[in-house]
Amino acid sequence: MAKSRKQKAAAPPAPTSNPQTQSLPKNKDKGKKKENTKSALAVIKEPAPPVESSGGEDEEDEEIVEEDSGDELGEDGEESGNDKDEEEDSEDEGVDEEGMERLMKLLGDEGLDDFDRVQLEGLVGDEDDEESESDEEAGEEGEEVPGEVDDDDDEGERESDEEDDLVINEQEDEAAEENDDAIPLDEVESVDDDAVPKQKLEINNQVALERIRRTIQLDPSLPWTETLTVTYPEKTEVDVDDDLNRELAFYKQALHGAQTARTLASKHNFPFTRPSDYFAEMLKSDAHMERIRQRLLNESASIKKSEEKRKEREGKKFGKQVQIEKLKERERSKKEMDERLKNLKRKRKDMLDNAQGNGNDFDVAVEDAISDRPSKRSKPSEGPNKKARMPRNARDKKFGFGGGGRRSKQNTRNSTDDFGSGAGRGKKGKGGAGAGSGHKGGKKQQRPGKSKRMAARSK
Amino acid sequence: MASVLKAQKANAAKAEAKGKGKRMADAMDVDADQPVAKKLKNKQRVLLLSSRGITHRMRHLMNDLEALLPHVKKDAKLDSKNHLNLLPELADLNNCNNTLYFEARRHEDLYLWAAKTPNGPSVKMHVQNVHTMDELKMTGNCLKGSRGLVSFDKAFDETEWGRLVKELFTHIFGVPPSARKAKPFVDHILTFSLLDSKIWFRNFQIVEKDPLQPNGPPQTSLVEIGPRFVLTPIRIFEGAFGGATVYSNPEFISPAAVRSLARREKGGKYNYRKDAEQEQERRKEKRRLQDDELAVSKVFA
Repeated sequence: MAKSRKQKAAAPPAPTSNPQTQSLPKNKDKGKKKENTKSALAVIKEPAPPVESSGGEDEEDEEIVEEDSGDELGEDGEESGNDKDEEEDSEDEGVDEEGMERLMKLLGDEGLDDFDRVQLEGLVGDEDDEESESDEEAGEEGEEVPGEVDDDDDEGERESDEEDDLVINEQEDEAAEENDDAIPLDEVESVDDDAVPKQKLEINNQVALERIRRTIQLDPSLPWTETLTVTYPEKTEVDVDDDLNRELAFYKQALHGAQTARTLASKHNFPFTRPSDYFAEMLKSDAHMERIRQRLLNESASIKKSEEKRKEREGKKFGKQVQIEKLKERERSKKEMDERLKNLKRKRKDMLDNAQGNGNDFDVAVEDAISDRPSKRSKPSEGPNKKARMPRNARDKKFGFGGGGRRSKQNTRNSTDDFGSGAGRGKKGKGGAGAGSGHKGGKKQQRPGKSKRMAARSK
Repeated sequence: MASVLKAQKANAAKAEAKGKGKRMADAMDVDADQPVAKKLKNKQRVLLLSSRGITHRMRHLMNDLEALLPHVKKDAKLDSKNHLNLLPELADLNNCNNTLYFEARRHEDLYLWAAKTPNGPSVKMHVQNVHTMDELKMTGNCLKGSRGLVSFDKAFDETEWGRLVKELFTHIFGVPPSARKAKPFVDHILTFSLLDSKIWFRNFQIVEKDPLQPNGPPQTSLVEIGPRFVLTPIRIFEGAFGGATVYSNPEFISPAAVRSLARREKGGKYNYRKDAEQEQERRKEKRRLQDDELAVSKVFA
């Protein structure tokens, strides 16, 4: 720190430096300087006190300043040393110590602090300065020093300002800090894409804003029912991009508003809830509400549908297996049936031969055998190799074959002449031809009983 | 009772003394006849109009606001975008002391001016994320012209400009009881929330009964009616549609700037590609080998 101080104190602005003459004289000079400073300290102690007597705070301030100046001048340090060396080299003449002393007195205590004075003294001690030169130097010193003092003051002011802010309100303090933290845009390595590198002028005239608000403000004694305004006592602090939570926050705010408003309304005796028999035009038309309802229904229907689809898709995985199972089952039952019937036939072979005798028994047995069969479909498949149950001619006789043709129902001479049968004449006449042949045959077959007929059919 | 009577008499006397009709705009200001009137009234009327060149969505939003606020007077589109100073006059002609002016630019950007008309202030805001009431997703409904509650969140009270905006919105969106088309019950709530330094607007229906069990205890729930939009404050002016700027939002980036930035980005891609091509060419040139002196073709030429 002290070093930087020295450099600063000895820094004239001339930037010309000769790299070859740098190193040697510098060292020499330093040695000299140290000695000189020591002597100077001894000399100067007396006038120093007024500066030293200032309080502890000042010391702190000074430290800060010193740091600052050190930073600033760190780069220039070497150069300045060189410059001085050159000057020393060029001007090797006698020094007027007294003159220097006088100058210092002129400068007085207020311009220089302790350390500076020591430095100056050191310069005076340095044998090699002409008076004009030292004048110049002193002038420079003089120029520099007030600046320093100013700096000090500024620092002090700033600090005090900040303290005030702390007292007054935190917000501004924060703002100030932000300003302190702010980095010039050129020094930022990467700029966010969203941030636009344009510096906008921010205007926030608090005083004017407040004044304007005052002018338009509604009278605070206005009853609540005039404005119906409610304030939510919390801030909405959610992620803006998180839609669900954001909307939830708004919903909460509105819900809180509604509830407080209801209590306020009951307090002010203000009608709040719409009675169920109050009908009036609504904001959204009935047609629109119907569309909304339809959409809701569609939505729920589509949800249901997709649910079903999903289930079905899942069922399909097992569907094939089920199908195979079913086929197998059918096959098996059929086989079983065949087996049973075969057994039955084998047992009753003799009885089948004379079916006439105990057909009834056989029927019962068959019924028993097929009782657990699901359907009677296999009945015709029972005797596929047997041809017709009745001979052709018998069936023709029974059901008729060919028929009489178109004119068979026409009156003939016989029919017109036939007055034989009474009331049912038409019918008789119609059946005349067929019946006649039957009569002519003379011999009428007896029809067998029902069970026999059934047995015959099942053959 | 007697006091009320007295107050009324005093009011009447004052009105006569003034000799001004109802139509005067300053008579509508509550502040004007405060000292005498004992029963204070909140008298607000809002002029609602737009500039030329609004799209259907913007128009629908405007219609929604008109339907929602019974104290709004809608006017024809304003022809000129540069003569906003006409607006206070227009509002005065319509007996309005507030104005909502929708300004559409380039058929895509929508700005909303909210102003107290004779002598300010006015707020200019950028409107984004507009959802109108016609959307089928918002299933709520309410009486047309019922007075809605106006809810603000706490963040408005923390900044000076927030307080001003809150006051202004209370005037504009709070339906006064004297509005002629107003209905006597409250069944919806408008919420303004300050989030991300933007003002978010929502409108909910207040449902008192649970539709699933109508005989159960009253359970308040909300259903959104719409519309919804987001306002980004840009500037607050001292006067109506003009005057000194008392607040400007440093974070606001105009939508045109956003778009041009996107376009530039695209252009940047092209430039980058061209540069890369050139660079490749250059390197290729550099890598080319010298002609070999001992090449077969040279030696046996």
